[in-house]
Amino acid sequence: MRGFPSFGFQRRKREFEEEIDAHLQMAIADRVARGETAESARQAAEREFGNVPLVQDVTRDMWGQGWLEQLGRDLRYAFRQLRKSPGFTITAIAMLAVAICANSTVFSWIDGTMLRPIPGARDTGALVSLQRGVRNLSPTPPFSYLDYRDLREQNHTLDGILAYHHDWITLTGGAQPERVYIANVSANYFDVLGIQPMLGRFFLPEEESHPAIPSVVLGYSLWKTRYAADPAIVGKAIEIARHPVTVIGVAPEGVTGAMPGLREDLWVTLDPLGTEVRRMTNRGAVWLNVIGRLRSGVSRGQAAQDLDTVMRHLVAAYPDEHLGDNQITLDPMWCSPFGANGYVASTLPILLAFAAVVLLLTCANVATLALVRFVSRRRELAIRQSLGANRMQLVRQMVMEGVVLSIVAGAVALVLTSWTSKTFEWFFPANSNPLILNGSMDHKVVIGIAVFSLLAGLLCGALPAWRSSHAPAAEVLKAESASVSGGSRNRKLLSALVVAQIALSLPLLLCSALFLRTLRNLAVANPGFEQDHVLTASVGTNIVGYSPDEERLIRHKILDRVSALPGAKVASFTDWVPMTLSHKGVDAWPEGYVPRPHESLEVYHCDVGPRYFESLHIPIVEGREFTLDDDEKAPRVLIVDQTAARRYWPGQDPLGKKLRVYGSLYTVVGVARNSTHIFVNESREPMVYMSFFQGGYETIVQVETEGNPADLAPVVENTIHAIDQRLPVFDVRPLRESTQVASSLAAIQSALAGIFALIGLVLAVTGIYGVVAYRTQMRTHEIGIRMALGASRGNVLRLVLSQGLWLTGIGLALGLAFALGLTRIIVRLLYGIGAHDPVTVASVVVLLGAMSLVACYFPAQRAMRRNPVSAIREL
Amino acid sequence: MSGKDPYKNRVELLQGTLDMLILQTLQWGPQHGYGIVQALRLRSGDVLQVETGSLYPALHRLERQGWVQSEWKQSESRQKARYYRITAKGKKQLASDLGRWERIVEAIGSVMYVKPEESES
Repeated sequence: MRGFPSFGFQRRKREFEEEIDAHLQMAIADRVARGETAESARQAAEREFGNVPLVQDVTRDMWGQGWLEQLGRDLRYAFRQLRKSPGFTITAIAMLAVAICANSTVFSWIDGTMLRPIPGARDTGALVSLQRGVRNLSPTPPFSYLDYRDLREQNHTLDGILAYHHDWITLTGGAQPERVYIANVSANYFDVLGIQPMLGRFFLPEEESHPAIPSVVLGYSLWKTRYAADPAIVGKAIEIARHPVTVIGVAPEGVTGAMPGLREDLWVTLDPLGTEVRRMTNRGAVWLNVIGRLRSGVSRGQAAQDLDTVMRHLVAAYPDEHLGDNQITLDPMWCSPFGANGYVASTLPILLAFAAVVLLLTCANVATLALVRFVSRRRELAIRQSLGANRMQLVRQMVMEGVVLSIVAGAVALVLTSWTSKTFEWFFPANSNPLILNGSMDHKVVIGIAVFSLLAGLLCGALPAWRSSHAPAAEVLKAESASVSGGSRNRKLLSALVVAQIALSLPLLLCSALFLRTLRNLAVANPGFEQDHVLTASVGTNIVGYSPDEERLIRHKILDRVSALPGAKVASFTDWVPMTLSHKGVDAWPEGYVPRPHESLEVYHCDVGPRYFESLHIPIVEGREFTLDDDEKAPRVLIVDQTAARRYWPGQDPLGKKLRVYGSLYTVVGVARNSTHIFVNESREPMVYMSFFQGGYETIVQVETEGNPADLAPVVENTIHAIDQRLPVFDVRPLRESTQVASSLAAIQSALAGIFALIGLVLAVTGIYGVVAYRTQMRTHEIGIRMALGASRGNVLRLVLSQGLWLTGIGLALGLAFALGLTRIIVRLLYGIGAHDPVTVASVVVLLGAMSLVACYFPAQRAMRRNPVSAIREL
Repeated sequence: MSGKDPYKNRVELLQGTLDMLILQTLQWGPQHGYGIVQALRLRSGDVLQVETGSLYPALHRLERQGWVQSEWKQSESRQKARYYRITAKGKKQLASDLGRWERIVEAIGSVMYVKPEESES
């Protein structure tokens, strides 16, 4: 690391070399003119000139007053010093790299999700998602088409407002049918997002509903994989669920649609075939997610007020289609409840705060090491001070060592993060959503790493440097050995750093313990249904384009054949799997029930077949299960859960009561025990089960198995394929595996908090060990004298231990106060345990205290065993 | 800080003298480093032999202070060399250096050549 590379410096260096050369040439020329031979003239001239590198060096010092050159010199000095103690350097770099990487990893996840909510879209900061009614973390699409159109036409605060609805569908027509995620979108979808087509064009306004020729826009990766990146694809027809559709354009690379964290593969307009009359004309058909772009200068609050006014007029005009709360709320995309960011935003910032604590803790640890090092360099520093270096220069050079350490650590962290940023998706088990959650590594993360490392460098360099530069030079040089322990001021700073490390690691330990208990509680919580011997398999009967009659026939065949499989106890149908981050909602009006003002009548619902409750071990507490006879020809029936029964008919017999759904009347024939729908810790919402053969849209086969459900998976898949080779079968997995996605956030929290806490524990314990060991070593002489004067080994042990335990005690007390305050921010993420759970708090304190005790014991024991005679001799 | 000042003063005294000599040499016209060494040696009757290790740092410092300017030119023997020229600021500095020098010489002289009887009275 010679020379600080700067253009001006290099040029001046070269020029000076030429100047010296000219000097020598002229000297030689003079001597030759006086009659000397060329060779002897050259030698004499060089002798006369003197040591060329030395002259260069001292002359360069004259230019070296620019800040850049000064920086270069400080940097070289820092490198030299760090090379002299490789043990310290490597330890410090490793610790800082891990701490910085912890921060940058979480930050890269935030960057990939919250900071880039809609990849490829222009200025996502101006985009807002619209929600109607009570704000809720897993909302169903909130708007009907007609409401959306009125909002679009009557608002005064949005530049544009788009609507979409997405679902799985099958691409047919090729060699292999392929299941893809398709979005029905408003014609202005790409305009509002600010995306230009890569090929062809996007939709025209007149194509929004039932265009003359159904058209489709392909996503980049679909175009690449299924259509071999055909440059002439525009204008060609492809087949979607057996309907021919014309490709009009291809979206640019990276564009995945408007819902954060979900990948849409291709886009069609809202009603491309003219078959969705009910959805396009009925205000009660709520199916659209809506995103608006704020007009410049308009705040989110103003827009919400404007849209709310429009909505109030709609509610007044069509009261029957707008029961319950209709208040419009707007969310920025980084924390929009639609998609993944609602969940992510409640977790990742907290984890980033934890990571910041780890970084602080690491800085305190490295500062301790640096301080000890500076203390042992007191003589060197004192000599330099007496030779004319001023205090500022010394501080600058010592800080530079910290900065060099952290920059190298930052570089290491950069390499590590490029890998760890991609580990986010590991936390999400296979599930039925096209999730594309992952961290990203872009300039924001690199800047973040630079900021983290500079902060760390200043923190762990400046404090000890300022302290050490205080030492009055004369005293140090005089009193060499007597005060070698570094003076009381340094001792106080060392103690403070140790206390800080313990105080910072306690909250980390406590939070991670609470998260781990939460994860365990979630895992053992009873969701109210059987998870362990159930296999589910989705069958795409609705996405290959069967006629209703064909579909009914195939469903019956599937049920018969799967039921008959050896190892299958009970087979049934459903259109929804509980605890998979999804739910379906519908407005249900119970007859004879008077809703409270603004009460929403939206309920959860799913279509389930005969023996569904039997296969999941959900008891029917009143009435009966569905049977095969509850089909399209039979009267409409439904089963409610206890929450619905108690809310709508308190104190009455729910059997025989009626509910109006989709405009038809359904009779209650049974009441099922409550079970978990989305999260173990959800608030109970009414659930309405309808008969699968009276309306099921998606087909999911659910089998209760004798043994391990995974063993039956291939057989079930083959059985269904044997019925019709074209039938797509997907998401075949044990129920226990599917429901794990519901606790994936808890898993992320406890995994990261656990790692952070472990780092914290190791740092705190090594920190206190290091300081106690160092101070005991410095007191070897004193201890020797004490022992020679009759102190017992026990006395020495007590002396050293008490010193460490004092620090631990203070650290634990401060840490406890800090921890109890900090746990308040994680209360909402806990399940089955209080934020101040006494057992957890006590065990964490005991763990940290015990580890500190062990850390103090080793140096104490070493001191105790010393031979007093040799201890006194040693200075 | 008490250890610093004597050290600094010593350096300044030496620097000041060399600076003055260089500026004086340049009064007679632009000159390159080698030329300055030769000129000083000749003028001082071979007494002042300026080390390159002192000359070049001084020249570069004077340039940074704006007392001299430099440019690359061909010498009479067609050697390309860096010529230094005294600036207006440098001339002012030379005058003040000279004034100080004279005062010092006078002061030292009055100490060194003082008559014994006067000092006793």
